[in-house]
Amino acid sequence: MSFKHLFMKSTFVKAPIQNGIGRYVGQLQRITVKFCKEHSDSKGVRDFIENQVVDFAKQNPGIVVYLKPRRHRAPHVKLEYLNGETEILSAKCLSERELRQWLEVARGSSGEPVARLRKMQHTDRPSIQGVWTPWTSVPPQTNLETFPSEEGYRAPQREQTATEKLRELFARQQEQKQLTEETTGTS
Amino acid sequence: MVFLTSPAWIRAAKPDKFWRRRRTFRLSAHYFGRARNCYKTAIIRVEKALSYALVGRQQKKKDMVQLWEQRLEAGCAEHGTSLPVLRQGLMRCNVLLNRKTLADLAIWEPRTFKVRGSQLAME
Repeated sequence: MSFKHLFMKSTFVKAPIQNGIGRYVGQLQRITVKFCKEHSDSKGVRDFIENQVVDFAKQNPGIVVYLKPRRHRAPHVKLEYLNGETEILSAKCLSERELRQWLEVARGSSGEPVARLRKMQHTDRPSIQGVWTPWTSVPPQTNLETFPSEEGYRAPQREQTATEKLRELFARQQEQKQLTEETTGTS
Repeated sequence: MVFLTSPAWIRAAKPDKFWRRRRTFRLSAHYFGRARNCYKTAIIRVEKALSYALVGRQQKKKDMVQLWEQRLEAGCAEHGTSLPVLRQGLMRCNVLLNRKTLADLAIWEPRTFKVRGSQLAME
C-alpha cells in the first residue's frame, strides 16, 4: 500500500525510555499565543487568556507562556518542544474549553512528529550470536591454507552421469565375457 | 381528498458530489498534472492505483515467502542438507517454526540454525 498521498513522515518504532522511568520531564517548552483583540475568531483565545491562562502557567512552571496580540490575524498557538520540534496549532473559532483541551494534549506529548510507522518492531541488537557472513561456517584453518590444497578443496561428489554408467556397464560386460571365455576355454 | 401519488414523484435531493469527489482527490493529491485536480482524469488513475494496490498486497505475500524459501535453501545447502529435509525434520520434532522465523534465525542466529539443521537432517 503506498502512503504518499498522506504527505506524512515515516519513522521506525521508538521506546522513549529516557523519560518517565526515573524522572519525568515535560517536553513542551513554550507556547506562543497569537491572537486578535477584536475579531470574533479569537474569542475563545481571548476567553482563555481572561480565565485560564494564569492558572495554566502556574500549574506548569516548566512551560513558558507568551502572548502576542496582533491585529487582523487568525489566532494560533505555536508549540515548541525540547527536541526542537515546532507545531502550529490553529485556534481559529476554537472555544475556550477546546483550546484548553488541545493545550493539555500538547502538554503531555513529546515533540516527535506524527509519522507513519514503517515496521511494528524494532531492536537495537538483532543478533546475539553474530550476523551470518560467508565465513561463519568456514573453519579457521582456511586462513593458513596454502594452495593448491587437496583436502579442503575437493570437488563435491555428484551422481554418476549416464555416460559413466554406460561405461561401467560395458566394462562389467567385458569382464563377464572374459570370464566365460576363460571358463569355456579351460574346460 | 388525499393525493398520495404526487408526493411519490418528488425525488430527494442528491448529495453534493463535492464530498464523493473529494474522497478521490485525497488519493490523487500527489499526482502530476490534471490527474491531481480534474475528477474525470483523477478517477481513472486512482482506480488503477487501487487495483495495483490490491494485486500488490497479494503479490507481496508470495514474494516474501519466495524470498524466505530461497534464503532457507541457501542456508541448508551451506550445511549439506536441503529445505525439504529441514521441513521434514522440523515436522517430526514437532517444531512449528514458520519460514519467516527460520529465515531470520539463519541470518541473525546462524549457529542455532546450523545446530537445528544438522540435528534435523540426522532425524
